[in-house]
Amino acid sequence: MSSKINGHVSPQPCPHLLVFRSRNGPKPFRALQDCIRVKPPGGRAAIRREPTEVPRCGTCEESSRSRLYACVACAAVFCHAPLLHSHASDHSLSIPGHEIAVDVDRAELFCCACGDQVYDRDFDAAVVLAQTVNATATTSTSGSTAMQCSVAGSQPENLRKRRRVDYRPWEPDSGEHISRGNQSIPLLDAANASLVSSTQQPWGLRGLNNLGNTCFMNSILQALLHTPPLRNYFLGDRHNRYYCQQKNGAINGTKNSRLCLACDMDALFSAVFSGDRTPYSPAKFLYSWWQHAANLASYEQQDAHEFFISMLEGIHEKVEKDKRKSQSPAGSGDCCIAHRVFSGILRSDVMCMVCGFTSTTYDPCVDISLDLEPNQGGSGKSSSAKSLNSFNVEADCMRPNQNCGISTLKGCLERFTRAEKLGSDQKLFCQKCQVRQESLKQMSIRKLPLVSCFHVKRFEHSSIRKMSRKVDRYLQFPFSLDMAPYLSSSILRSRFGNRIFPFDGDEQDASNDLSTEFELFAVVTHSGRLDAGHYVTYLRLSNQWYKCEDAWITQVNESIVRAAQGYMMFYVQKVLYYKESENQGTS
Amino acid sequence: MSRPPPPPPTTNKDQQHQNPSLQEINIKLIQSGEKERLKELLRERLLECGWIDEMKALCRAFTRKKGRNNVTVDDLVHVISPKGRASVPNSVKAELLQRIRAFLASTAD
Repeated sequence: MSSKINGHVSPQPCPHLLVFRSRNGPKPFRALQDCIRVKPPGGRAAIRREPTEVPRCGTCEESSRSRLYACVACAAVFCHAPLLHSHASDHSLSIPGHEIAVDVDRAELFCCACGDQVYDRDFDAAVVLAQTVNATATTSTSGSTAMQCSVAGSQPENLRKRRRVDYRPWEPDSGEHISRGNQSIPLLDAANASLVSSTQQPWGLRGLNNLGNTCFMNSILQALLHTPPLRNYFLGDRHNRYYCQQKNGAINGTKNSRLCLACDMDALFSAVFSGDRTPYSPAKFLYSWWQHAANLASYEQQDAHEFFISMLEGIHEKVEKDKRKSQSPAGSGDCCIAHRVFSGILRSDVMCMVCGFTSTTYDPCVDISLDLEPNQGGSGKSSSAKSLNSFNVEADCMRPNQNCGISTLKGCLERFTRAEKLGSDQKLFCQKCQVRQESLKQMSIRKLPLVSCFHVKRFEHSSIRKMSRKVDRYLQFPFSLDMAPYLSSSILRSRFGNRIFPFDGDEQDASNDLSTEFELFAVVTHSGRLDAGHYVTYLRLSNQWYKCEDAWITQVNESIVRAAQGYMMFYVQKVLYYKESENQGTS
Repeated sequence: MSRPPPPPPTTNKDQQHQNPSLQEINIKLIQSGEKERLKELLRERLLECGWIDEMKALCRAFTRKKGRNNVTVDDLVHVISPKGRASVPNSVKAELLQRIRAFLASTAD
């Protein structure tokens, strides 16, 4: 019942719409577009002949009906409540050619004869454009838009000062009562007590010695060692270093061919999960990585994020060379374990502000780098670490009732997926207009990876001012994260509402909830100054937090983690997390 | 596009100073912009308490049962409206009623 135009699915028009279009030229709703009014606070589009018009049914003169429709042919307004009285239906039946109407409060086209919504590309595009123009016109210098306000639920929950629904404690119904009885085992069963021993540390916790400013490497390695899919891959002997070396030695006898970061990872996993608790020195690994990333080979402190990226690249390169596979599509993750685990796909929509034409591109990514909100007061000054209790009035906290001051990961993600008006010096070429026009850009996530890595841009390097500074501002991050609002399907739905969905036909509907929920399992934190800092990783195993600081591993309370200055946060898909925390063996 | 004649103005000025009719209240709300604000408030409250998600789920279930191509907007409105009206939390109703009363009191002639 739908056809594809440029990869966009659009529903087949009803016969009445077809007739209407054939009678009224190529742009039958052009005049209607002039009546589109977008009003704050919600930024919703309405149809009004004059801005102050109060729509009223032409037959019964009621203006308080919940659905009022304006006939597109003659502009008469009628109410529509199909089973009680539908003067809109009466009108459409009385005059042929007057079946198509527009909902005056929602700016949505409707066929009174079919009793169903209909769509017109140009009209819907015009509505979206009007909403966008309105939203960006009322934007303050750093961000909140009316468009965001109309997207219910886009505000981070913890920033909304609203009354909550009353708490009702859960009571099992009769079915749940029975299954509780059948399938429960007592926790303090003597036979099972030996498995649950809180004094013993979980598997795979082993300190890593600092080999000279290598905490940047140790912190990332600790996170990777406990990345569930990566851990399973190596512990499952999917990359056997002995077999790999043998194979390489046979093909090419030179020293360089034996460089394989995946083999070194395999060795690392074996060492760390061996059960030996004495701190391990990853010297071989460091040496191999130096060979791979020669420009970063020094005893100076490096950026942990840079190390992370170069490591993934290293694993990818070597494995790809070995396999000699045909190029798999970017972002599919078929090339190597590093991409299988971390690679997602970002979607970028660039919309021309003049004609509304949108061009879409897809790019693979292994992580998402997020900007912290710009500090209102500071320019060139590095701000000192803020405690949880101090509030700073941020420039983009213009929305009423918002608890200003605390930056959150969700806030950063919202800003990342917000529609952004590109400056007039950044005009992009529009295919339809055939000239460079001012554009609106919006990012969204097309495909989520198994493990989402969020990198907070705390290190600012300005080549203009020839200085670098570190942003110490605290960022709040959740332990459980639902990525659904940042998916392309959600972002587009909120942009277009009940209009033609510009989806590709094969896109997954967000009803597949399981794959958008993520659990935090590792946090890499940075403390200190830009030039003299220290990386520490917090790991979450079986819902316990452990602090990994080079050779020292200690169990810590979750409040410590919450208060830490997050630099990189690692989230794994919830199904993989809970599976891995069952039956944690102890050694 | 030809325009129909404008509707006749409301008569009976005496009635206005006594209990205002629903019609008059509605017009006051619309013209002052309060109706739009109230609608926005209602949307937010209904979202918070999960009402919107509930209605979406009901719509999906209905559409699945009838088949995606056999459902119209009118069908959905007809099926969902009674359930929707019945499940609005009392606290939400009370809050909106209070807001409307306050508005009317503040703009009384």
